[in-house]
Amino acid sequence: MALMDNYLPLLVFFAFGILVPVGTIIFIRLIAPRGEYPRKHIPYECGWLPIGTAKIRFNVEYYTYAIVFLIFDVEALFLYPWAVSYKNPLITVPNFTLIACIEMFLFIVILLIGYVYAWKKGALEWIR
Amino acid sequence: MIGMVVEEVGTVIDLLHTYLIHIFSQYPFLKPLLIGFVGACVITGILFVAGMFVVWLERKFSADMQTRFGPNRVGGRYGQLQLLADAIKLFTKEDLVPETADIWLFTGAPIIAILSALMMAAGMPFGYVEVFGKQYLMAITNMDIGVLYVEAMAAISVFGIFMAGWGSASKYAVIGAFRSIAKMIGYEVPLAITVVSAAVMVGSLNFVDIVNFQTSLSFLGLEHVPAWLLILQPLGFFVFGVSLLADMGSKPFDQPEAEEELVAGWGVDYSGMRWALIYFSEYFHLILGACLFVLLFLGGWTLPFDMPANLTLPVFFGKVLLVILAVLVVRWSLPRYRIDQVQRLGWKILLPLSLVNLAWASAIGVML
Repeated sequence: MALMDNYLPLLVFFAFGILVPVGTIIFIRLIAPRGEYPRKHIPYECGWLPIGTAKIRFNVEYYTYAIVFLIFDVEALFLYPWAVSYKNPLITVPNFTLIACIEMFLFIVILLIGYVYAWKKGALEWIR
Repeated sequence: MIGMVVEEVGTVIDLLHTYLIHIFSQYPFLKPLLIGFVGACVITGILFVAGMFVVWLERKFSADMQTRFGPNRVGGRYGQLQLLADAIKLFTKEDLVPETADIWLFTGAPIIAILSALMMAAGMPFGYVEVFGKQYLMAITNMDIGVLYVEAMAAISVFGIFMAGWGSASKYAVIGAFRSIAKMIGYEVPLAITVVSAAVMVGSLNFVDIVNFQTSLSFLGLEHVPAWLLILQPLGFFVFGVSLLADMGSKPFDQPEAEEELVAGWGVDYSGMRWALIYFSEYFHLILGACLFVLLFLGGWTLPFDMPANLTLPVFFGKVLLVILAVLVVRWSLPRYRIDQVQRLGWKILLPLSLVNLAWASAIGVML
C-alpha cells in the first residue's frame, strides 16, 4: 500500500508535466499571429545565410570522456545502496559495518587507478 | 441564524468526510491519485508564480548591482507587474520553428525541461502544517529513495537541453548543446557523490530522515549549534554548492548559453512561448536546487530551537530565498569561466574533493 501511496502521485505529476507544456504550445498555435515571410524560418546565424549543415560529427575524444563519466556515474549509483545499508541495525552479520567500509574502500581505490590512468592519458581535457 | 448555518455546514463536512473515508477504503488508489492531482495543480501554480518572482528579483537585483534601475514602470515604482506584461507579450508572439529544425526534438525540449522540474518538485518535502492538533507533512510523496529520485529527475533536464540544441540545428545551438553535455556530465559525478556522502552520514535516502538527523544531534554537545550537514561536512557543502551552480547553468558556468560568444547557445532559435517554457524551467531548477540545498545541508525546515509546526513552511521558504539570493550574488559578480577551465575544475578538483568528503562522511557516520 505504501508503494501505491508514494508512486501513484508521480504518475499524475508525469501526466501534468507533459500536459502543461503541450497545452501551452497548442494554445499559442491557436492564438498567435502568423506571418508569411519565409526568410524568418532560416536558422539564426547573425544575419548570414547558413553554410552547410549544423549537425556535425563530433570528435572521437568526446566519447572517451563520456565513458569516464559513465564509469564514475555507475560508481555513484553503486554507492547509494551501500550508503543506506552499511550501518543498518537490521543486518546482524558480525562486523558488518567494518567489512562494508573496507569493501567500498577497495572498490573506490580500483576506480581511482582508472581515474589516474584517464588523467595521464588526457581524457579529462577539453577536446583540442 | 448564524449558528444554524454553521451547524448545517458542519454536518455537510462531516457527511463528506465519512463519505470520502468510505470511498478511499473501497478504492485505495483514489487517495494517492487525488493527492497527486491537487498537489500537481498547487505545485505547478506555485512554481510559475515563484519563477516569475525570482525572475523579477534577479532583474531588480542585477540592476542594483550594476547601478541601473531595472524594471521601474509597469505596475508601480518597482516594476512589480513587469513579468505579467512580459507573459502577455510572449503569449501573443508568433510561434516560429526554423525550417531546418527537427520538429519532434524542437517541440520535445521544452516538454522535457518542464517535466524534469515538476517531477523534481514531487519528490521533496517542504515542511509541516498543523491542523486541529494533527501534523501533516507537506510533500506529495515521502519515498525512501527520495534523494536518489530527485537527483535522477534533475539529471533528465540535460536531455531537454541537448534536444533543444540538436533539434534547432543552428551552429551556435549545436556548440552550446555539446558544451552543455560536457559540463553536465563533468559536474554530475561530484554532485552525486556529495549527495551520497550526505546520505552516508545519515544512513538513509529519505529527506525527512535527513532533516530529522540534522536536528536530533547537537554539534560537539554545544547547545543551539545544530548538526546541520553544513557544519558536519563543510567540504561536501562547498563541492555540492559549486556543482549545483554548474548544474543550474548559473553565471560562472553558463558557457552553453554564453550570450557574448554563442548568442544564446542551445536556445538561440527559440522564441515566444517555447522560449519562455525553457527559460522558466531554468528558474524552476534554480528554485528547486535551492530547496535541495536547504534540505540536505541547511537543516531543512528547522531552526536550532523549538518552534511551532506551522512555522516550518515559512522557515523553509525563507532559507530557500536566502540561498537564491546567495546564488544571485555569485551569478552577478563572477565572470564566466572558459569551457576547458570548467572541465578542469569539475574533473580534477571537485571529483577528488568529493571522494575525500565521502571518506570523511563514512568515517564520521560510523562513529555517530
